[in-house]
Amino acid sequence: MGILAAVNSVYWHEFFFMLFAGISVVFAVCVLLTQNIVRMAFYLVLSLGSTAGLFFLAGAEFVGAMQLMIYVGGTLVLLIFGVMLTAQQRYIKMNTHPTDWVLATIVGGSLLVLLIGAATGVDSWKDASASTKALTTLDADDARTATPLGLALTGVRVDKLDTDSALTNGQSGYLLPFIIVSVHLLVVLIGAAYMARTKRSATAPVGRAERARLNIMQMEHETDDVVYSASKQSSSSLLNSGQDQAEESTDEAEE
Amino acid sequence: MSTKVDDPRIIEFDVRTDEMLINMGPQHPSTHGVLRLILRTDGEIVSEVEPHLGYLHRCAEKIGENLTPRQWVPYTDRMDYLAGMNMNLGWALVVEKLLEHDLPEKARHLRVVISEMGRIASHLVGMGAYGLDLGTFSPFLYAFREREKILDLFEKACGARLTYSYLTPGGATGDLPPGWVDECRDFLAQFKPCIPEFHELLTNNQIFISRTAGIGVMSAATAISYGCTGPVLRGSGVPYDLRFNGEERYTEMYEGYQFDVIVQDPETGKYPDPHLEEFDDDLDYPEIPKEAILGDCWHRFYVRMLEVVQAIRLVEQALDKYESASGDWGQPIKLTQKLPKGEAYLETEAPRGQMGFYLVSTGDSIPWRVRARSSCFCNLSVTSELCRGTLLADVPAIVGSLDVVMGEIDR
Amino acid sequence: MRGSLVSTGASTVTEFISQNIFGLDDPNWFMYLLCGVIAAVLVLHVIAVGALFFIWAERKIAGRIQDRLGPTRVGGKFGWLQTLADGVKLIAKEDFVPRDADAPLFKVAPYIAFAASFAAFLALPFADGAVAHQVNTAVFFVLAVLGLEVFGVILAGYASGSKWSLFGAMREAAQVVSYEVPLGMCVVIPVFVAGTMNLTTIGEMQAGWFNNWLVFHDPFTFIAAIVYFTCATASVNRAPFDLAEAESELVAGFHTEYSGLRWSFFFMAEYGSMFLVSALASILFFGGWHPPIPIDIWILEAFADPDLVAAGPLKDAVPSLVTFLVMLIGIATLVAKSVIGVIVMMWVRWTFPRLRIDQVMATCLKYCVPIAAVCFVGSMTWETLDLPSMNTINRYEVHEDWSEDLAVSTAGQDEVDPDLPEDENYDDESSDVMDGEEAPIEEDSVAVQNGLLLQEGE
Repeated sequence: MGILAAVNSVYWHEFFFMLFAGISVVFAVCVLLTQNIVRMAFYLVLSLGSTAGLFFLAGAEFVGAMQLMIYVGGTLVLLIFGVMLTAQQRYIKMNTHPTDWVLATIVGGSLLVLLIGAATGVDSWKDASASTKALTTLDADDARTATPLGLALTGVRVDKLDTDSALTNGQSGYLLPFIIVSVHLLVVLIGAAYMARTKRSATAPVGRAERARLNIMQMEHETDDVVYSASKQSSSSLLNSGQDQAEESTDEAEE
Repeated sequence: MSTKVDDPRIIEFDVRTDEMLINMGPQHPSTHGVLRLILRTDGEIVSEVEPHLGYLHRCAEKIGENLTPRQWVPYTDRMDYLAGMNMNLGWALVVEKLLEHDLPEKARHLRVVISEMGRIASHLVGMGAYGLDLGTFSPFLYAFREREKILDLFEKACGARLTYSYLTPGGATGDLPPGWVDECRDFLAQFKPCIPEFHELLTNNQIFISRTAGIGVMSAATAISYGCTGPVLRGSGVPYDLRFNGEERYTEMYEGYQFDVIVQDPETGKYPDPHLEEFDDDLDYPEIPKEAILGDCWHRFYVRMLEVVQAIRLVEQALDKYESASGDWGQPIKLTQKLPKGEAYLETEAPRGQMGFYLVSTGDSIPWRVRARSSCFCNLSVTSELCRGTLLADVPAIVGSLDVVMGEIDR
Repeated sequence: MRGSLVSTGASTVTEFISQNIFGLDDPNWFMYLLCGVIAAVLVLHVIAVGALFFIWAERKIAGRIQDRLGPTRVGGKFGWLQTLADGVKLIAKEDFVPRDADAPLFKVAPYIAFAASFAAFLALPFADGAVAHQVNTAVFFVLAVLGLEVFGVILAGYASGSKWSLFGAMREAAQVVSYEVPLGMCVVIPVFVAGTMNLTTIGEMQAGWFNNWLVFHDPFTFIAAIVYFTCATASVNRAPFDLAEAESELVAGFHTEYSGLRWSFFFMAEYGSMFLVSALASILFFGGWHPPIPIDIWILEAFADPDLVAAGPLKDAVPSLVTFLVMLIGIATLVAKSVIGVIVMMWVRWTFPRLRIDQVMATCLKYCVPIAAVCFVGSMTWETLDLPSMNTINRYEVHEDWSEDLAVSTAGQDEVDPDLPEDENYDDESSDVMDGEEAPIEEDSVAVQNGLLLQEGE
């Protein structure tokens, strides 16, 4: 049948690759073309999600799951948080100047040329069907289990076990970079926790129970007359704070 | 409403860019009736709360200027509709005070039975709805299951489940039907073992404690200065209960009964034990958790729980006294009874606080002015003070602990 | 022909369809797509029928806990078809989008939440061989995809254009993301006890009597199972952690503006996630698809051909019909365990009040994370010191191709080389791979009988 021949002519791996790559590229282009900043973030989610699909297609399940967990589930969540919280009326639309477009085209275009040159310059990648078949007959567990990856990160390169030097010279795999990155992340975590702490000023709100006890202690020392003057004081403090806020608002209005 | 720009207490004015004005209500599953709360918040911490009332105003007091006192009794039902019997009692007493009408003994004991059963019914709603505010649905239904039985008893007594108009000036509209006393005793016998269930689900529950202990702490001075009454006041440690400290015409109703003021003893830090011998010995009253501060939501809730137990005790005593008393149930006064010239004011200890009724008469059968002093109105006014600086999720916890009913506030 | 995309079972089905129906030798992309669609539809039915059942169960259980009956009219005395009636009602509702809402995002948000919940089912094995796609890093994959559900919530809250929805969405996102940390820590514990992230393998390791379940491995895994369940309840936003849906506080949180079918998608996603985390708990801690009494092993042994038993895994020694039957028993057991987990979540919901957001965060950071960390260290110590355990799991045997190379290359080495990294010194008696011989097969080890020791690459 003609249809069957047409369908058969596309190798299944190519079809799914086209699908995922197409989604990635289309949504990446949408990120460029839209002006609504929340939608930009959302299209980025879809684009990076289908990149994870590309990883799964290549057999790298661990990296694909990493992509989903770290990129999409971590970085983009953060991005969407930031975008969503600040996207009030004024800030939703992102207006780009024409000069921005020119600059972006130059930079992006040169990167694109570089990538295409690199992709077409490798001889072993030129034979499309053979390489994809080779990819799909990859039945070694190396590509798909996390154990060799984990062992490599802790020092043992199990893909190099056939060379004696690997075992006798104590080749350390990726242990040093792993430790460095771990310490780095710890430093970043501590720094972030420090920067995000609640800052205690002189009039900072104390804990609730503490405030309650202070309240009780303060109130117990008042007499009946003071109750009345205390209510006058609180209303006058409201007046003062109201005036302060009025001044602030007029300042903001002037700006 | 008209606002002046330089009046700082109008919070719609001048909201900062990081703050929001959020409207909670009037239709809202959490507020107890049609209460509108305007919150100024930055998303989590509430900096200002302003209650807006009046959504349930039905001009009851104005209508009272056109009806005789006995005709006005149904309007009192609809004020605190969850404790209708106690509202009726307050009005009946003030009319009798003006008329200087005395009741037979049986009528007095009947009133104690009915008003204390009404107190149990009202606190069941208050407690159940408080659990509902905090997100637990089951205690609400258990409380209503028990309340249904009380309402069945009331229906047998007067024909109505919610708007009774039973206790009228002069006594009551009719006697309790035969067998009612035994049914009431049966109800109490099966209700007592249910109380530990409620303690398990709410009072002792760690999540409930962390949602209510230390929240909305109100000192005794604040409570007094805002005019709070009832469990709200006693939860802050002020030993004031109108059944002891009130007017004679009211306290003589409770003469001969053994009961305590439910308030924390400042020295021992304990609440009075209702000494119910019929309870098993292994039913312990819940200990006060260490996170609870006197005057917080947990204490107000606890006072209500203990008041229920004390009300059971009072009902049991009253049933015995009712059965052995002489006289009749108190025939109501005439429908068009002429009121003497003068005025009378009487406050009673309703389940939600001190409910006062004021009657001014110019000698006619129709009063010249009728006024209801709502207990919840003053209780609600302390909301803006208590909710300042709390988290958004604490606002329903605080309002729920005040146990307000909008019908009484708006009248 | 082997493909890296499709699992063994599906490729068999694909080949079957393409050879017999379409007359091709090699399946083309259309066959694979068709097979994928069939697998997806089957998984979708798990969620949809599961939601149907769970909504009915929730209403009945809620009713019984609250001293009332629940639905009793639609579909007979027990109200079986109540959910269907509700579904019909929801479909018939007016489809509106609020004026201030961002319409495309508003419309797509429920489907994202549902898609995340659904995608995680792809790697979940219902029995040995009954899995949509055999992912070797299944645990990791499931956790990664579960974390994507928060997108649906955030977009729903934002796109509704209302302050209340935004509040609910922010709080829920913060909660889910925070609870991923102790959840991950609790999940890592059975992973390192079992030595693999493959859910099928972890399930198979717990074959036999219930003492072989990983929850009974040591006291720390027991505590970790409880902490896992708590964190799982929090990460699917069930009470007492359900602020996002807190009816009495924020009306309905992030899905205030949703009605009709869109709302029901959120709830299908929620029930799907509940089922998923319960199923994950069952596989990781509670024996997976093996019943507490090893009925399935007995059936396999009863029908095993004695000649074939010694030559390979037990499953290959029985007729395929028996294997299929045992697979069905496995599926039923796993589903039963997951349903029990979901019912426990419902039970907790209707009993306890709700925690405030700061209390939720405090529970996560002050209680769950330290306890999970302590359990991690404790469990690891227990494993390393090889302390007695109720399980018969053998962790140190690695069953992948490159480890065979290791055995071959070090044949003849008598001593342990001190320069080798620690992992290579398999000096405990449970593994003799270093000696160049084959690993001694313990005849009575259930792991042997299930083909664990002689597992070929998949």
